[in-house]
Amino acid sequence: MKKENLKRRIKQQRALQVFVWLGILYCFIFNIIPMFGLIIGFKDYSITSGIKGIFTSEWVGLKYFQQFIGNYQFGKLVRNTVVLSLLKLVFTFPAPILFALILNDMKALGVKKIVQTASYLPHFISWVIVSCIASQFLSQGGVINSFLMSIGLVKEPVKFLTAPEYFWGTMVTLDVWKEMGWWTIIFLAAITGINSDYYEAAQIDGASRLQRTIYITLPCIKSTIVVVLIMTLGNLFGGGLSGSNFEQSYLFGNSVNADTSQIIQTYVFDVGLSKGRYAYATAVGLIQSVLSVIMIMGSNFAAKKISGDSLY
Amino acid sequence: MGKTARRRKIRKSKEDWILDCIIYLFAFLVFFMTIYPFYYVVVLSFNEGMDANMGGIYWFPRKFTLENYAKFFGDMTWIRAAMVTVARTALGTVCTLFFTSIVAYGMSFKELVGRRAYMKYFIVCMYFSGGIIPYYMLLKTLGLLNSFWVYIIPSMLSIFYITIGRGFYEGIPGSLRESALIDGATELQIFVRIIVPISKPFLATLALFTSVGHWNNWYDSTFFVKDQELVTLPYKMLAVINTNTITANDMNAAGHAASTTTSISVQLAALVISVAPIICVYPFLQKYFVTGLMIGAVKE
Repeated sequence: MKKENLKRRIKQQRALQVFVWLGILYCFIFNIIPMFGLIIGFKDYSITSGIKGIFTSEWVGLKYFQQFIGNYQFGKLVRNTVVLSLLKLVFTFPAPILFALILNDMKALGVKKIVQTASYLPHFISWVIVSCIASQFLSQGGVINSFLMSIGLVKEPVKFLTAPEYFWGTMVTLDVWKEMGWWTIIFLAAITGINSDYYEAAQIDGASRLQRTIYITLPCIKSTIVVVLIMTLGNLFGGGLSGSNFEQSYLFGNSVNADTSQIIQTYVFDVGLSKGRYAYATAVGLIQSVLSVIMIMGSNFAAKKISGDSLY
Repeated sequence: MGKTARRRKIRKSKEDWILDCIIYLFAFLVFFMTIYPFYYVVVLSFNEGMDANMGGIYWFPRKFTLENYAKFFGDMTWIRAAMVTVARTALGTVCTLFFTSIVAYGMSFKELVGRRAYMKYFIVCMYFSGGIIPYYMLLKTLGLLNSFWVYIIPSMLSIFYITIGRGFYEGIPGSLRESALIDGATELQIFVRIIVPISKPFLATLALFTSVGHWNNWYDSTFFVKDQELVTLPYKMLAVINTNTITANDMNAAGHAASTTTSISVQLAALVISVAPIICVYPFLQKYFVTGLMIGAVKE
């Protein structure tokens, strides 16, 4: 009886089931099959054996993982990945909150609108274009260096794009520049939702503007801040909210600054696609994937604990 | 009493004044630092390339020229790259829009058998991946490497927008579909004739992000395409940066004697041409992407 019912229901929604199954099939091909490909990280695989070789080649256990850990670049790659990610967490994450507070305090609405609209712009521009602009702007004869030298802050041009010691700073600054305006949207929307009675009451009690911001605005948008923080942590090693680690390191990295610019993700590309060591590259990529999964699970768990509601 | 009240008022307005100064100064700085780099590149693109190499240009072109743009439009490789980029953006956006929204629509049907399991499956696909190497091998097996379709097919379905679209379509009353079914319409007809026209806010958001993504994508052209006839505009710009580091020294000496342009100055013209459509369009779509981002972040 119940089975009959189910059959009838499926028959009724046949077309809708087809729509969804097209999507499921598509995801199977483009998402699930590559996941099976991960096993070559544990196998003695060579590209000449094709797809079949994924299953037929011999198991080598953790050989590639040991190779990677024993590699002279291992320490550097892990350090660069972690430092770049943490710096972005510290700077790129709070910047939009601060900017939202500032925009919210602007009374000239026309000016506010113009500034805000302008601030979204870099979000819609690709990192390739940002790197083209930066290679003009931050070059040794570029605007920034000319400015710094004319006010006497530096004596000789700063090698923002080539010196290894400036790589992290330059990347984090560019990340803030590109994404701050965009993420401000969320915080500004949260601020707009605050009941204006709170502010009126505080004003009557004699709270200053700064006090109102600190004691009313910030606590009221706390839950939004937590949600965005959790999203950031979920993608910590990809570069946080904007996930820009790979693109930045690939586009701005060069042989001169490789010491600080090379990260695990770019290393995977280098040994995999350029040097053709597929199995080894897959194993290295898997390490980063496992870390990401742990971060995602952890942040989802934290979200459940804090808000009583899972993010996904 | 009156005196203290007045004093407090004065003190407050002074604090207000300082605060306002800081706020407007900061806002101006953000505005300036966002806009000026773009302005600077536009100025450089209208300046003679050889002259620009000497630096010192900040506000206006020193030696004004349209040569860089002429060179761009005269060079078939640039034009071809621009055409490939336009084609992939147009076709890619249409395909993603149709496929993603139809799957999302199917998922929005509350009585769909297996709905919860399907959703879990999609979420797994969204968050986990096999990484770049297995993906590369898949593209190779499917014959997508070095093909125009590598720009379209692998990005045809956006799982993230399935989750958002599902939420949107759930808000549409089921009676619309039921009455159309009674009138003898098929599900596809219902979707195209009834659902699509009333889901403009969702489709506009999806179209905006998909088209910008296609327009900006440098990744697939760089790693999956070798055929120079199929490369995209972002790839071409990237190639100029990469080759320039090698040839920068001999640039002055080699073969450019008769021309005032350099590969960099032509690249800047290309950059301005590729950013211009985005600058022209995005301010008018603000209300769409603002709501799109909000739904995405809050994930009701």
